[in-house]
Amino acid sequence: MSARGPHATSPRSASASSDAELMQQIATGELNGLGELYDRHQAPLRAFVARVTGDAEDVDDLVHATFLAAAKSAARYDGRASCRPWLMGIAVQLLRRRRRDTSRLLAVLDTLRSILRRTTEPDGVVPIRPDIERALARLSEPKRVTVLLAEVEGLSCAEIAEALGIPIGTVWTRLHAARRELRQALGAGEVSQS
Amino acid sequence: MTTGSTPQCPRLFEVEASRDGRLSGEELTRFRAHLGGCRDCAREAQALEALASDLRGVKAGAAGGDELRVRRERTRLLAAFDVALVPAAPESVTRRGRAVMMAFGALAACFVALFWWHERPRGTVTARTNAAAVPSAESVTVRADSSARWTRQLEAHLEKIVLESGALSIRVDRTRAQRRLLVILPDGELEDIGTTFSVSADGGHTTRVTVQEGSVVLRVRGNATIVLAAGDAWTRTPPPLALPPAAPPGPSSSFPSAKLPPAARLTPSPSGRASDQGPGLDAEPVPSPPSSGDTSADFRSAMGEFNAGNYGAAAKHFGMYVTSHPGNPRAEDAAYLRVLAFQHSGNAVGTQQAARDYLSLFPNGFRRAEVEALAR
Repeated sequence: MSARGPHATSPRSASASSDAELMQQIATGELNGLGELYDRHQAPLRAFVARVTGDAEDVDDLVHATFLAAAKSAARYDGRASCRPWLMGIAVQLLRRRRRDTSRLLAVLDTLRSILRRTTEPDGVVPIRPDIERALARLSEPKRVTVLLAEVEGLSCAEIAEALGIPIGTVWTRLHAARRELRQALGAGEVSQS
Repeated sequence: MTTGSTPQCPRLFEVEASRDGRLSGEELTRFRAHLGGCRDCAREAQALEALASDLRGVKAGAAGGDELRVRRERTRLLAAFDVALVPAAPESVTRRGRAVMMAFGALAACFVALFWWHERPRGTVTARTNAAAVPSAESVTVRADSSARWTRQLEAHLEKIVLESGALSIRVDRTRAQRRLLVILPDGELEDIGTTFSVSADGGHTTRVTVQEGSVVLRVRGNATIVLAAGDAWTRTPPPLALPPAAPPGPSSSFPSAKLPPAARLTPSPSGRASDQGPGLDAEPVPSPPSSGDTSADFRSAMGEFNAGNYGAAAKHFGMYVTSHPGNPRAEDAAYLRVLAFQHSGNAVGTQQAARDYLSLFPNGFRRAEVEALAR
């Protein structure tokens, strides 16, 4: 799966600083380095966060927090040529924290929303998203993150394991389960067993 | 989960395994050969690829291509990172504390204003200052000393005060001002941008400008335009009678003066004294690093001193960097880090002076807010 996603390779001019060099600059407090890193990775990172969250209201805040956390940890960057998997990993950690912090509040809001919907909206008014988006939204967040990192962002399973801090076997398991659930939701035919 | 009644290829699971990188070497080669001839496996591979294609088609946010949003978010990020760089000074005031102080300040200002309003008819202000207070029909109040020779001209969008000699103290109420205020000096001009300031002239030259509130732009013939902010003072430097032999610049809390035009040099505020230049630097003079011409190397060198905790040397290096590479995009960073270096070294006077140097060089600089707090 070396070149699955559209971002599997990132062409870069020879004169541009590598991500590792930018991280070194950021570690010394240079704002320009962070600006260049942002210009380079904000679009794919934002797209990833938007897909994982279903384009939630706070996508920009999550992207902001991801870059800020990365900048503060720049001195600990391991020097890999591309820091996109690392950034994605940070984003996932922040998503996890966000979900934990807001789960109670969301439960209350969901209850209120369901009450409001019953009282104010006739059946069928809620906009229906395309099947693939609905199926993706039904996946648990760990599975959704894993399948998006693999199939959309083009990360290898080893990169995903490192970014998420989980064993590679867990990545394979989540990928398989995510594909199976997606295909079931989409009404696809044959699904392999493994 | 297998569906359908027809027997499937027993190697079907290897389609996903190969996609996920679980097969390698000979296993992968053999499976690829098998894939070419197996209809079940080929169909499964197509199905997985179709699923991936669907996932890549999931919308990633409508605002993804909004350039304005990207610029705004970029600025927000850099500002947040910049704030994170500033060490939390023990004496720093928290936001809540600052808000409380501002509330008390506003209350005190109200009392002062009420008191002033109550006392104003008695005419004590003019009497106390022993000066001619000339309130403008608009919003400019001029106080002139007894020897001042000056005139005022009102034009459509400009108010000109022409000072020949003597000293004027001018206050501009921007909330009511409808004209630009320009003070014409014997050898230049001074433009008010909302403030209270004093200006003196003598012998055909501007001799001193001090700013109490807001800021002014000072243009003196033969010198660079400078912006003076609250607390800044500018004093004309008489031309040197004889130049001393070249010597390495001594420790100082301001940028090496040789690189700046004499009249553009900022002097410390009236409270500043020559002995305030910073005991740390005086005790440990640091040789000025020669500029290598390589901006990155110079910056790294200064940063290296900073990271090593040699803050006196770091301040010196950053100062040299600013004067050696004034047009470099990192000059502002260097000027700012110089402030931090002084702050880390515990040199309060040096910190204040470096902060003022930063503000004079980068009046609209990115760290203006923080540096202004340190300049006070």
